[in-house]
Amino acid sequence: MSGTNVWTRSRERMRRFPELFAQCSGEAAAYGKCVTATTTGRQELRKDLCVKEFDALKTCIVTAAKKGVK
Amino acid sequence: MTGRTHQTFYLLCNGLLHISALVGKQFVKMNNAIGSRFLNGSCVCRRVLKKGSVRLLVPQQHDPAHSQRNVMTAHSMFLPVRELSSKIRCSQWTEIQRQLSGRAGGTMNVFDRTMKRRQKKWAASLQDSDKYDYLRDEVGSRVADRVYDIARTFPLALDIGCGKSHIAEHLHKEVVEQLFLTDISEKSLRNTRRSEIPTRCVMADEEFLPFKENTFDLVVSSLRITTILVLPSVSLCCHYNPSPFPKINQVLKPDGVFIGAMVGGETLYELRCSLQLAELEREGGFSPHVSPYTAVTDLGNLLGQAGFSMLTVDIDEIQVHYPGILEVMSDLQGMGESNCAWNRKSMLHRDTILAAAAIYQEMYGSENGSVPATFEILYMIGWKPHESQAKPARRGSANKKTIGSHCIKKIKVWGKFPNEGIGERLK
Repeated sequence: MSGTNVWTRSRERMRRFPELFAQCSGEAAAYGKCVTATTTGRQELRKDLCVKEFDALKTCIVTAAKKGVK
Repeated sequence: MTGRTHQTFYLLCNGLLHISALVGKQFVKMNNAIGSRFLNGSCVCRRVLKKGSVRLLVPQQHDPAHSQRNVMTAHSMFLPVRELSSKIRCSQWTEIQRQLSGRAGGTMNVFDRTMKRRQKKWAASLQDSDKYDYLRDEVGSRVADRVYDIARTFPLALDIGCGKSHIAEHLHKEVVEQLFLTDISEKSLRNTRRSEIPTRCVMADEEFLPFKENTFDLVVSSLRITTILVLPSVSLCCHYNPSPFPKINQVLKPDGVFIGAMVGGETLYELRCSLQLAELEREGGFSPHVSPYTAVTDLGNLLGQAGFSMLTVDIDEIQVHYPGILEVMSDLQGMGESNCAWNRKSMLHRDTILAAAAIYQEMYGSENGSVPATFEILYMIGWKPHESQAKPARRGSANKKTIGSHCIKKIKVWGKFPNEGIGERLK
């Protein structure tokens, strides 16, 4: 595969992931706590159990990415 | 893919062996898609198994590049199936694995060998492949230590799956006189490390060693057996892919020794659990992203079945710290150890990666922000039987004399009892 294609572009985006993730450590910790609470608690993990925390994390990452691109 | 009939393949479903057959031209398209569908939860598998429908199967070699394109379309077709959520947690998943591996039966081909070959080739062709070698170097030096522990000189030795020959650079000419290096990828054989032992390189697949019986005094293997070895699991039909140990036993001379190291047990459990929880929460089901590893007990059984005697198996844990989950995954990719099981999912959503990163950090992260990844390395030593080796004593042949002589030895203590020899009192 020569030149840029969808794989090279998406990998470039993924390479920025660690620095973006570092900027959102608060939301990430909140989401992590929500999920790990199910492993110890009586509640079983279902789809979208922690969707609020995850959405907060995702918006944080997206805004960080937009800021960085400029 | 027209003109192919009676195509079938194995499916591994959450460790439960599920057999299904597809007859027809649509086979290649369904291949990976079905794999991901049935692995979303145990629900589907259990339902099918209860029905008792058993159909035929045989894995087939297909062009991975071609099927990749088809998978994209097929995947979206099966999207609704993901609503079947599995309630299995991390601990339960490993429990199922352990139960299965305890059963006797045939073995099954879990890994796609062509894909593994391509991954190894890609990893070897990287510009900076040296920076991924830290694990292999460490394990190679420990295997070489074990070779030194055996006070013998080996005229002819074989290194299976040598990679860049991480073991030979630690060995001396007095211990091993001549060495054969075998590997699946040609590039790594061309880039082997320097060693003072005269070596010959053979490019061969580990399953099909092109050597005669009773040739080698020593066989070593470091971290390659994971991908050839498969779980001895319940199988309704054939032995498709036996373990490499019988073959290794064959090429060894009587009174020859096999020293191996493989990744096993709880390796990468942090990665596995994080991905599992993330996929469960984000997508409602999960499929295995970390390939199954052999437990210590199974290893002993397999070696014994292959004909080795005087087995020694011990576990070593190496913990490597990474900045985050992406670095773990990219390092594994650089080592050539990406997932190549038949049942692997071809896609990992970026939402899932994000969720897994957060979970990994929360569950296993340390204060400075780094996350650990555990590699549990199993080291095994097995000997090919020979008359000169000590045999277990006959039953009922033990008596007081033989037991006593091993327990108490005469000890001389200076200082406290100057006049009496303390050793005499301990007789």
